[in-house]
Amino acid sequence: MIPETLKTSLQARVASAITAREAAVDVMKELQAHYGWLTDEAVEEAAALLGLSPLQVEELATFYEMIYRRPVGKKVIHVCDSISCWCADCDKLIQYLKDKLGVGLGGTTADGMFTLVPCCCMGMCGDSPAMSVGGTPYGRLTPELVDEILEMERKKA
Amino acid sequence: MPKLIIDNIPVEVAPGTSVLEAARSVGITIPHFCYHPALAIAAACRLCAVKLLDGPVKGIQMSCALPAQDGMVVSTTDPEALKMRALVIEWLMLNHPHDCPICDEGGECLLQDFTIAGGHSRRRYQGKKRTFQNQYLGEGIHHEMNRCIECYRCVRFYQDYAGGTDFGVMGSAGRVYFGRFQEGPLESPFSGNLVDICPTGVFTDKTGRFRARYWDYQFAPSICQHCSVGCNTSPQNFQRETIKIVGRRNDQVNGWFICDRARFDKSYLNDPQRPREPRLDGATCGYDVAVDAAAKSIAEFVRNNGADNLALVGSTRLSLEGMILLVQLAEAAGGARLCYYDDPAQQQGSVAAAKLLHEESAAYVKDIEQAQWVSLHAVDLMEEGPMLALAVRKAYLAGAQVFLVAGDALPVQSTLPFKYTAVETLDQVPFEGGGKGVIICGAGSKDPDLLAEMASSGAKLVMLQPGANGFAAALLAQEHAAVPLAELVSSRQVRGVVCFEADVPEVLLSELEVLASADWRRGPVEATSPIFLPTTTWVESDGTTINYEGRAQRFQRTRVAGLPLKGLDPKYYGSATEAVALHPPHVHRKEVPGGAERDAWRVMAQLIERLGGEAVEPLTGKWHALKSLDPEGEGARIFEMGLGE
Ligand code: SF4
Ligand code: SF4
Ligand code: FES
Ligand code: FES
Repeated sequence: MIPETLKTSLQARVASAITAREAAVDVMKELQAHYGWLTDEAVEEAAALLGLSPLQVEELATFYEMIYRRPVGKKVIHVCDSISCWCADCDKLIQYLKDKLGVGLGGTTADGMFTLVPCCCMGMCGDSPAMSVGGTPYGRLTPELVDEILEMERKKA
Repeated sequence: MPKLIIDNIPVEVAPGTSVLEAARSVGITIPHFCYHPALAIAAACRLCAVKLLDGPVKGIQMSCALPAQDGMVVSTTDPEALKMRALVIEWLMLNHPHDCPICDEGGECLLQDFTIAGGHSRRRYQGKKRTFQNQYLGEGIHHEMNRCIECYRCVRFYQDYAGGTDFGVMGSAGRVYFGRFQEGPLESPFSGNLVDICPTGVFTDKTGRFRARYWDYQFAPSICQHCSVGCNTSPQNFQRETIKIVGRRNDQVNGWFICDRARFDKSYLNDPQRPREPRLDGATCGYDVAVDAAAKSIAEFVRNNGADNLALVGSTRLSLEGMILLVQLAEAAGGARLCYYDDPAQQQGSVAAAKLLHEESAAYVKDIEQAQWVSLHAVDLMEEGPMLALAVRKAYLAGAQVFLVAGDALPVQSTLPFKYTAVETLDQVPFEGGGKGVIICGAGSKDPDLLAEMASSGAKLVMLQPGANGFAAALLAQEHAAVPLAELVSSRQVRGVVCFEADVPEVLLSELEVLASADWRRGPVEATSPIFLPTTTWVESDGTTINYEGRAQRFQRTRVAGLPLKGLDPKYYGSATEAVALHPPHVHRKEVPGGAERDAWRVMAQLIERLGGEAVEPLTGKWHALKSLDPEGEGARIFEMGLGE
């Protein structure tokens, strides 16, 4: 159950959209921020707010990689594996992340801090290889830089 | 009209026709999966590649999404196009489980056909295949996601065409999944069409899985008898059992699809408890013995009580042939009374509707689809004419306003696949531009004045009949001054009845003497009648029905009458003198067990002869024009044939 205040603000967001569907991503992101991930309950709540069926919300939720339909760590690491980053040897970088965090792709660290997922091009090709951690983008990554970033992100959290 | 050349054949097609359809019009089938004539173009599968050698566009193109244009020179056999198609199908087949032998779609599978036609016959891919968990989708449809080739036909049908919201596509890239949010029965009353529309075996008909292969089936063109829309179907039978019922295309009636009632509601056809033996005073007898007895009983009753006291009772379940011969039988019986309805209100409404409708006023399905406004008058469309809801949905999506008049009076509201405004009376519906509006109502039990008021609005009319063949019953009831049975009983005008596929309510029955009855289902009439003549259902008989808009359609016998072989009681194999064997007899015999049933109209013809009448053919005289109706055609509206009012 979401708090009344959140509900009212989301209702206002939906009301200001030309079609309810267009507000779907915003609603899902807000609910995700509230619960930590988009729970089944949140899908149903989003559906009720948007006047869609739960399935129709699920269609959108499962399409977007930044909507999490499973529990994730405090911060999600999206590491790009698209073409430019691949040219910049992201494979090695991804392996480094896996080893460092001790998880596979999709996994969450034992302390619940990070979840590691691959993602499509984030428009940072010029700074490849790239990743984002908890929404902050980082480019020109090297193992050393990754160590620093993770250390810093862990502290910030 | 664009003129183009396809594989050296000059083709001329209507503007807007795709190259794929243009090729089909000259007998060239280009392999395709995502394309379906009833759905919007997706160009998702990339299988329909052709090469344009000359003209406004050149090179490899998707023929489903390419409108034919003047001067195009198309090759469907160019090596580059062939190679593209072969590679596409190989790629679509990467994850396919290759499980055709245990797939119920096998033999009627577009994927099988076009994999071979596309030139892919050897698997090269050695990697792991992606697999999915299936969902429980209810008792109608079995789900097998591993067979999916991501053509998006199902979701385009389910959500876009049929307005369902509980089934769709989830995920992205190599993980797309077609199903529900959570397991559970599909909610759309049109969900069964997934079976027909999916080009592979992801959705198969659970009610008839693993019973027979396509080449085992017996089928023929048939007409759904569940409501007066008269959708075209093709029942698939195996060993005297109706295994599946699938939609059959008729653009004037149902397009490509049917509702779930038509598809899944079939157990009554196969019911081993159907009354299949002729009976005389409670004992099984030969069919001719029963017919003789019925004729004798009628003659005797008429001699003792006068023909006036006898009513021949039909119903809206009878075929047109049966309804016509009922008239002649009444004559042969010396002028007996005729009934097609028991309820006076039903007859009044039904007849009034048939009178009001003519070529100009009776809406075509196209009129509904293209209407500017549609007014549903106290009608539960999902009950009385489900497929028309999809026609209204088309209009709604194109911007038509939809009104529901006096909807509160309806029982439980089933969800309609479109939005509407509820109003209290017809006056609140804005009629301006009447010609582009359509009024839909149920005719049975409606006040004729109200129906006349609707007709005077100038809108096109849909008046759904009570019963599949209600329109025909109305025509005959009117022409031959038939009187509703309840009226005859309450005014004590008849004492004896002979019933043909008539469901007489027990209150009336208690006041009547049933001389004989003919039917294919059990009921109080069948139980009390001293003489019983089993008849065939619509799957086992030939006949004609007239739908709500006056369209006469022919259906054909799709299988022989008789007990389904499956689960046949051993007694049908045994003999009276020897112990019952659990094996079919080792001797040949010609009769089909339980196969004595005859078409109702043929029984009537025999009774007419026994009563000294002349041998008769139902479709003669003014009905003669219907004799040449093509069961595979679109049917014909009777107004064009001068048969209406
Ligand atoms: S389930 Fe069938 S219709 Fe739907 S996308 Fe897959 S193959 Fe196409
Ligand atoms: S709409 Fe009526 S005629 Fe058509 S398939 Fe459904 S029940 Fe049968
Ligand atoms: S490919 Fe990685 S950011 Fe563009
Ligand atoms: S049929 Fe043309 S792309 Fe699928």
